[in-house]
Amino acid sequence: MDFELLKNAIADLEDEKAYELVNEVMADGGTQVEAALKACQEGMDIVGKRFEAQEYFVADLIFAGEIMSKAMEILKPALAAKRGDQVSSKMILCTVEGDLHDIGKNIVKSILEATGFEVLDLGIDVPADVIVKTAKEQGIKIIALSGVLTLAIDSMKKTVDAFAAAGMRDSVKIIIGGAPVTEDICRHVGADAWAINPQDTAQICRKWASGE
Amino acid sequence: MIIIGEKINGAIPSVGEAIKKRDRAFIANLVKLQVEAGVDYLDVCAGTSPEEELDALTWLINIVQEETDCPLCVDSPDPRILKAVLPLCKKPGIINSVSGEGDKCDVIFPVMRGNEWSVIALTCDNDGIPMETDKKVQIAVSIVEKAAAYNISPDRIYIDPLVMSLATVNDSMLRFMEAVRRIKQLYPTIKTTSGLSNISFGMPYRKVINQNFLTLALSVGMDSAIVDPTNRDLVATIYAAEALLGRDPHCRRYNKAYRAGKIGPKKV
Repeated sequence: MDFELLKNAIADLEDEKAYELVNEVMADGGTQVEAALKACQEGMDIVGKRFEAQEYFVADLIFAGEIMSKAMEILKPALAAKRGDQVSSKMILCTVEGDLHDIGKNIVKSILEATGFEVLDLGIDVPADVIVKTAKEQGIKIIALSGVLTLAIDSMKKTVDAFAAAGMRDSVKIIIGGAPVTEDICRHVGADAWAINPQDTAQICRKWASGE
Repeated sequence: MIIIGEKINGAIPSVGEAIKKRDRAFIANLVKLQVEAGVDYLDVCAGTSPEEELDALTWLINIVQEETDCPLCVDSPDPRILKAVLPLCKKPGIINSVSGEGDKCDVIFPVMRGNEWSVIALTCDNDGIPMETDKKVQIAVSIVEKAAAYNISPDRIYIDPLVMSLATVNDSMLRFMEAVRRIKQLYPTIKTTSGLSNISFGMPYRKVINQNFLTLALSVGMDSAIVDPTNRDLVATIYAAEALLGRDPHCRRYNKAYRAGKIGPKKV
């Protein structure tokens, strides 16, 4: 199987072609599922680059996310078998309190899922205590906070502070993302990392999940 | 939306001249321009005097088919000419047109039996072009019923409810929209079509009237239009209206058309 084809099908948003190829990968039970996953991720990286170059637009990103989710659905049985008992990394993703934007969050979600995360999406306008409580109850160590409005910055800071107040700040990694986020904002909020595109978000979370 | 390219029409002076001089390259170029812009059918109309029409139309059809696989929309006011040129066409296209006038349906429908040709049906009859929506619908119904007698199903019929010029009939657009709605209600699989320029006849800045006509017509379900596919503003209007009407999942066709440079500022 030529994985370049799969990479290009994803990058070019050729949905039918992509599904056909991942189904082909699964024909033998998915012995090459890891190579397929890698090809899909590389395809998504190209999508992200084209978005940055203003060659792709928001609807294209959402569509790419949808293709990716469906492709992952098809590959899932083989991926689960390969990972064996090794539990896939779970993480929390949400838009913080006071902010109702979810387009960016949803795109990031599909990319994170594509890279193997089990993403617990708490939705939009999520108060700090709900995030802390969920992380505590489910033992989740990676937290991604999204926001588009400037007031989201305050909510992000509140959330980080709430983790500290609960005595959990050192046991979780927190990444913030969205339009208002910068290096300075990240420092102000007290998060561990920041990103303004899904690729960087996924890369950083992947590193954390693998213990780096 | 089904786009019928209108540029190969002898009624356009430069095209008429090319037909008279049998300027093959000129016609071939019109084919190329339209196919590159993206069309579903190419309208071919000689627009000559009746005695020269068969010759001219035959010449046009042969050139178009040498240049492209795109199916034709053969266009003549004379049903006997249409009937005569049909065997020249390599694949089924659209016959343009029949109406309630004279024996047009009686000549054309028998040759559509048992094949895949479609037909444009104008809602006019021996009394002329009706203004009233009721009458437009009534003519459409009588044509569809006639077609049924030849086993021609409604999905092979494009009804053109003949929009009147806005300058003379102030609720012309409203009547047109009502006609499209009602005809589609009666026959859900039927198609509707229209030319664009009638609506703006006699008005200044016609292009903006034509574009908005298209948007409003699309909103009530018009399936097709006879347009100049190289007119970028018009093409952009079609893509935008279809996206706005929720017929373009993920705005894919709109975004793709933009990337391909079909719509938006021309890339230099």
